[in-house]
Amino acid sequence: MSVADALWRFPSAMMAWRNLGRNRMRTALAALGIVIGVVAISSLGMAGVALQQQATSNLGSLTNQVSVSAGQDSDYDGVTEDQVEEIRSIITDAEVIPQKSNSTTVSSRGQEAYVSVTGVTNAAALYDVTSGEAPERLQTGALISNSTARELGLELGDPVEYDGQLYRITGLIDSGSGFGPGGGRGELVIPISGLADQEHYDSVTIIAADGDAATEISETLDEHFNTDGRDEEEILRVSSYASAQENINSFLNTLQLALLGIGGISLVVASVAILNVMLMSTVERRGEIGVLRAVGIRRGEVLRMILTEATFLGTLGGLVGAGCSLVVGAVMFQLVVGDPTGVLQWASARYLLYGFAFAVFASVLSGIYPAWKAANDSPVEALRG
Amino acid sequence: MSVIELDDVVKRYESGAQTVTALKGVDFHADRGEMVTIIGPSGSGKSTMLNMIGLLDTPTEGTVHLDGRNVTGFTEDELTEERRTTLGFVFQDFHLLPMLSAVENVELPSVWDTSVDRRDRAIDLLKRVGLGDRLDHTPDELSGGQQQRVAIARSLINGPDILLMDEPTGNLDQDTGRTILEEVTRLKEEENIAVVAVTHDEQMLDYTDRTVRIVDGVIQS
Ligand SMILES: Nc1ncnc2c1ncn2[C@@H]1O[C@H](COP(=O)(O)OP(=O)(O)OP(=O)(O)O)[C@@H](O)[C@H]1O
Ligand SMILES: [Mg+2]
Repeated sequence: MSVADALWRFPSAMMAWRNLGRNRMRTALAALGIVIGVVAISSLGMAGVALQQQATSNLGSLTNQVSVSAGQDSDYDGVTEDQVEEIRSIITDAEVIPQKSNSTTVSSRGQEAYVSVTGVTNAAALYDVTSGEAPERLQTGALISNSTARELGLELGDPVEYDGQLYRITGLIDSGSGFGPGGGRGELVIPISGLADQEHYDSVTIIAADGDAATEISETLDEHFNTDGRDEEEILRVSSYASAQENINSFLNTLQLALLGIGGISLVVASVAILNVMLMSTVERRGEIGVLRAVGIRRGEVLRMILTEATFLGTLGGLVGAGCSLVVGAVMFQLVVGDPTGVLQWASARYLLYGFAFAVFASVLSGIYPAWKAANDSPVEALRG
Repeated sequence: MSVIELDDVVKRYESGAQTVTALKGVDFHADRGEMVTIIGPSGSGKSTMLNMIGLLDTPTEGTVHLDGRNVTGFTEDELTEERRTTLGFVFQDFHLLPMLSAVENVELPSVWDTSVDRRDRAIDLLKRVGLGDRLDHTPDELSGGQQQRVAIARSLINGPDILLMDEPTGNLDQDTGRTILEEVTRLKEEENIAVVAVTHDEQMLDYTDRTVRIVDGVIQS
């Protein structure tokens, strides 16, 4: 009783609520149309986000890296010490990490494994260890990939040999993930002094703050080293993964737009269903609305009452739809990214909001015509039936 | 002074090539505390005339005065305002809203106004028509006579000057019709309102102060 009393303060809301309650089946079916529309629009939107995150995580942390190696017009077979110093002098706000690389066969306890060897000083910036540690100045120890360690039965503290020199394993790293150098092959990381017989650096990795900064750095370096007057030449090959990321992103954005378009169409279908339901129910109630008008209820109030009905339908369908989409989204994130809570991030959760907002908007829009028609019907005609 | 007055009102309906003249120059008035009954054969223009008096429809020619004010040129929104504040309606088939309780139905015409005591007034009106124990019943839980009494209470919620009834006893049996008419007569005196009724019901003439006869859109006598 008190709830109804409170609702009477908002007569449009009260009347709308009671009217929807009169034909529950019809209300439920109309709302179901909206639910399906919202689920379509939100879950397709979230699918796009999940795919994007999966692609990004495959590229790994590489997107903020710039890789420099000797270009085809270089006089040397690598990046020289002088060039490294030059890079350092131009790029002051990013880590510049020169590396030498080779490959070798590592053996232990009768087992052998073919690994790529990287000589680097700042191992901490380049590698994430799964156990042990990667020192900022690698001088005596070594890092080895998990898979190789497992293959050879090596553990932290065990020695490995390269070029007649023994190194103690200080950390284990993940390998084979992402598109990084070495691909699926095992990797051995040793101090740069271990590769002293190679005069030049094979590559220089520059770690920028983010993808945009990486792109900027690669452009700066390209311009500095590879432009001689008006001629283009390639002294240094400068590449960043940011552009790969951009390509993938633009593809995914297109995909997402297409998915949202499909979702949008289903919501348009749903609003046509609402239009139909609202039109039917106002035609059925023509006499009743005539009575309202006869006893002095204003046209605007009749209009508001019917628009409120449409709004309630949209809100109801939108809420249920958002709830269902949340479940669908969590399942999707579990399958694609492997983490159902990913759905709660704003990047994907916002599609729940978009779906809900679109549902309410579409419902109100489809309520306008029936409401206008009912409000402007002549009371005499309406009462005659 | 008459609370409602029609002067030389003509109402024509144009439907395609045909033109029906439902009212052919009708003069009419009603005073406070008076019950006027309009009688006449079917299709003679009774309902059309009541729609003019009730400001539900506008005349093709002629003028309508409400409380001495000429309301002939009023817009639909102004007429709606007059209907809410000055007029009460009772229909042959009650026309209560099925999803609202008795007391909510009575409140309905005032519910979009923010007056504070309308719930009390609605309960008071229902008590006065003998339905004090049926406040929360919905129309389908009420008999025809009870529904018509709810409709009468609804017509009085805004304190009208005129009560309009189109065949109020048309769907009721004789005895129920009689109690409804007694109710209306009592309320007419208590509230000092004009009652204008259209009927085929002979017994209504026992309660009326004045009878107006219309035949083919023309007032007789
Ligand atoms: N909207 C309309 N369009 C065309 N003709 C109409 C319209 N409304 C009423 N009429 C005509 O006007 C005349 C008077 O109709 P009205 O409804 O006033 O009669 P009535 O006296 O109330 O009859 P009843 O006793 O059967 O209710 C009839 O000939 C009717 O056909
Ligand atoms: Mg009639």
